[in-house]
Amino acid sequence: MSGFDVFAILLVLLVIVTLYSGVKTVPQGFDWTVERFGKYTGTLSPGLNIIVPFFDRIGRKINMMEQVIDIPEQEVITKDNATVTVDGVAFYQVFDAAKASYEVANLNQAIVTLTMTNIRSVMGAMDLDQVLSHRDEINERLLRVVDAAVSPWGLKVNRIEIKDIVPPADLVEAMGRQMKAERVKRADILQAEGQRQSEILRAEGAKQSQILQAEGRRESAFLDAQARERAAEAEAKATQMVSDAISKGDVAALNYFIADKYIKAFGQLADSPNQKVIMLPLEATGMLASLAGIGEIAKATFGESSASAVAAARRGGSVPSAGTPPAPPVPPRT
Amino acid sequence: MSDMFVTLGTWNWLIFGVLLMALELLAPGIFLFWLGLAALLVGLISFVTTPGWQLQILMFALFAIAAVPLWRRLARTNAAPSQDNPFLNRRSAALVGRVFTLEKPIIDGNGTVRIDDTVWRVAGPDTPAGSRVRIVQADGAHLTVTAA
Repeated sequence: MSGFDVFAILLVLLVIVTLYSGVKTVPQGFDWTVERFGKYTGTLSPGLNIIVPFFDRIGRKINMMEQVIDIPEQEVITKDNATVTVDGVAFYQVFDAAKASYEVANLNQAIVTLTMTNIRSVMGAMDLDQVLSHRDEINERLLRVVDAAVSPWGLKVNRIEIKDIVPPADLVEAMGRQMKAERVKRADILQAEGQRQSEILRAEGAKQSQILQAEGRRESAFLDAQARERAAEAEAKATQMVSDAISKGDVAALNYFIADKYIKAFGQLADSPNQKVIMLPLEATGMLASLAGIGEIAKATFGESSASAVAAARRGGSVPSAGTPPAPPVPPRT
Repeated sequence: MSDMFVTLGTWNWLIFGVLLMALELLAPGIFLFWLGLAALLVGLISFVTTPGWQLQILMFALFAIAAVPLWRRLARTNAAPSQDNPFLNRRSAALVGRVFTLEKPIIDGNGTVRIDDTVWRVAGPDTPAGSRVRIVQADGAHLTVTAA
């Protein structure tokens, strides 16, 4: 094998190596930095790229996709001296491959450390209750601070989320008890309120019913009184009419009424179920005699004129005939 | 090795070229394709005239190197970057032209805008918070705005 042979073979090998080092295919999602003699000169974007062999070299291969890193859990002391365990995640994206390559060493660790210290400072300024209930606010403040801090590194932090906030176990237990007590209190208050309401409703119902009853009584009493008034009026009118009739006519008409009532009352006595033996002067003459006595009183009251008028009426036979037995002639008593 | 070249004759280069191209498909890394191309070219030439194998190897090396600028020119003129998503991995560039409400006032040239539930710092003329701004330029994570 001559020297030319060896040279030719080595040349081919050199060409292959040269091509390999000069032709670069950058995949989508990455940016590669180019260094000429160790100094940054440019950035290769995705696609086919050619760099000058021997002079240029690929420096860093930077992932340009949004990435998520875990923020490891750490203990944070809140403003009111409660120790909580906190962890989270951060999302960031590289916008400038050169800065991300050369402005910061160990990018991920830098972000993690920065975020952890800021979590401590943000949460340390808050009470435990605030920490537990204002997670959005914490995220927001962390994002602002960390995003501004990583800006020189050509990054943008898009989001920082606090994943878990774990207070110590005894505190959790106390919080549980507090919540339970609060619920019990609310339940008790609600129950008492319900009872109060129901009692009030019941009393109101009773009051209403009593008022209605009283009103009914009043109404009925009123109507009763009216009825009695009306009855008295009617009685008065009837009496007036009777007395008018007597003053105009025969006194015997009065006798007729009395006799009628008398006989009816007697009939009722006879109908009475527990009074079968009636000791009464049954002779009609006695009864009639008493009627005659009344007639005498009437005569004395109304005077002779009316008595004669009655006598005249009797002579004329003007006695009411309503199916009742005709009044027997009254024997003169004088 | 030289025995194999002798027995197979001029077909060596064509076989070699095809093998290289097949390898390129299996293990992408565009440079093997050009080596294959160069080998095919040498094979075609050796049909017409048969120089010594050393000269053939030199021709192969020459063609391989020459293929790079040729291919580059071809790629530049022919395959225009017609991506269907030109803003892939260039999130800020996609924001150019859009109008947002300024969350914090721009004081001394720097303010913030809330976009897609994250905060972007913007640069531009001093503007009070709450006014509408249009993004006119995006350079990495740095957005430049003007009043919309």
